[in-house]
Amino acid sequence: MNRTALIWRVASFAVAAGFIALWQLIANLKLVSPVFLPGPDRAWAALMRGFSSGDLWSKLAGTLEHMAYGWLAASIAGIAIGAIIGSSRTMRTYVAPSLEFLRPLPVSAIIPVAIAMLGLTQAMALFVIAFGAIWPIMLATIHGFAAVEPRLYEVARSLQMSRLAVIFKIALPSASPDILAGMRLSLTVALILSVVCEILAGLDGLGHWVLLSARAFRSADLFAGVILLGVTGYVTSVAMSLAEHRLLAWQASQR
Amino acid sequence: MASAAKRLEAVSDTATPQIAFDGVTLALGGKTIIENLSLGVRPGEFLCIVGASGCGKTTALRLAAGLYQPTGGRVNFDGQPMREPRREIAIVFQDYGKALLPWRTAAGNVSLALEAGGMPTAERPARIEELLRTVGLPGHAGKYPSEMSGGMQQRLQIARCLAQEPKTLLMDEPFGALDAMTRQGLQDEVLSLVAASGATVIFVTHDLDEAIYLGDRVIGLLPHPGRIGIELSVNLPRPRDQLSTREHPEFLRLRRQLFDFIKATEQ
Ligand SMILES: Nc1ncnc2c1ncn2[C@@H]1O[C@H](COP(=O)(O)OP(=O)(O)O)[C@@H](O)[C@H]1O
Ligand SMILES: [Mg+2]
Repeated sequence: MNRTALIWRVASFAVAAGFIALWQLIANLKLVSPVFLPGPDRAWAALMRGFSSGDLWSKLAGTLEHMAYGWLAASIAGIAIGAIIGSSRTMRTYVAPSLEFLRPLPVSAIIPVAIAMLGLTQAMALFVIAFGAIWPIMLATIHGFAAVEPRLYEVARSLQMSRLAVIFKIALPSASPDILAGMRLSLTVALILSVVCEILAGLDGLGHWVLLSARAFRSADLFAGVILLGVTGYVTSVAMSLAEHRLLAWQASQR
Repeated sequence: MASAAKRLEAVSDTATPQIAFDGVTLALGGKTIIENLSLGVRPGEFLCIVGASGCGKTTALRLAAGLYQPTGGRVNFDGQPMREPRREIAIVFQDYGKALLPWRTAAGNVSLALEAGGMPTAERPARIEELLRTVGLPGHAGKYPSEMSGGMQQRLQIARCLAQEPKTLLMDEPFGALDAMTRQGLQDEVLSLVAASGATVIFVTHDLDEAIYLGDRVIGLLPHPGRIGIELSVNLPRPRDQLSTREHPEFLRLRRQLFDFIKATEQ
């Protein structure tokens, strides 16, 4: 890490510490009623209590499970559909306009539809999460496949490579920077929708925990859940960045 | 009956050119780019094609590679009509930067051709090392193309083409983007590689000296549409030498003839 990066890192920690101190100050002065706003000390205590009793662990596991299944389903389907559309010019011309119509549709709009069809079930949650998370992945894959250097396809032809080999050795690796970027965006979408589905369908997870804590005016528990959600989002996104960095090491020297 | 046909084929094999253009015409987007081109390349021959920019050199090479199908006439390879590209015909593209896989190392790029040829995994590393050594890239196996100079990238592309064990090597201005020193070095390397493998070569260049230096025969194309304007046999002794060959009276005579031809086409 160079000097500037270090200074930025220190500065960002200082800002975070400042916010926590401010939060503590507001809580101590009771500017907001403690019923609604616990201080960081109480939130932290609630977090530790939740962990030691094991309740929070199982809620966290529930949310991670919803997120992971939905995201993986979205990734597999998004890459497969995106590859089919992206590798054919005809498909792109005919299908792209419909995608442009569907994409801005808020996922919340399909939740009632999903509930009507599948009920308040895990299957409904999986469907909603996957449906919301598929877009960034699919659109990125279409773009990545459409942008493969045509010369490489000629190399593949003169090597008489099979269709499958062309997909796995040429198109997919070439599109991988786009695909991974799409997968990173989808990760956040999957987390948000996991929480929404848990709240709506009462599925085991942090969303449900937050909802119950709010109803019971256990503000410290509520905040513990929110903090944990924030940490989950941050950690998964950092993990994804690290994976991207490793998988795309070949790009390092090009940048 | 079958054996008689086979014997006949074997006899004619020595007589048939490895690559034969028979009245080939190609139109792309309603424009005739190559018209009525007839040309035979003998097995083991080194044929150079020169011509002004845009006269159809690259297009002719792509026809020879099977990347384009003629709209009229026929392209034959070993006496058989060429319907699609084949591994026995390797093509070295002009834009080496686009023809290499940026996500694979030098070794990985060579490996692509070995994989396509179905070589067992265990045998590949030794062959890759040998090929990289052949093109003067020993010790660069782990480098990505983006970490290599233009000359090294073009060597790498040549190594991948050699991994195809081609009967025919097609080269499209392979050294056009390289500096003079690198280019001369690579010219000699290509000559010795080809001499060692016995491959047939069609080499496209806009450098007339390069064409005469390398070729057994030089063909000059006329533009709009592309057709043969001049054909010269190069009777210079081999192995060629950068100094003595280029000072040879025959070299200078051919060079003069080719220059006059090109100058006439540019008017
Ligand atoms: N795919 C294509 N569609 C239409 N015209 C083309 C295409 N490729 C090449 N041409 C035209 O054909 C002519 C010959 O091109 P090319 O074979 O690349 O020439 P050279 O390699 O001799 O410079 C040029 O006028 C070029 O514009
Ligand atoms: Mg050209």
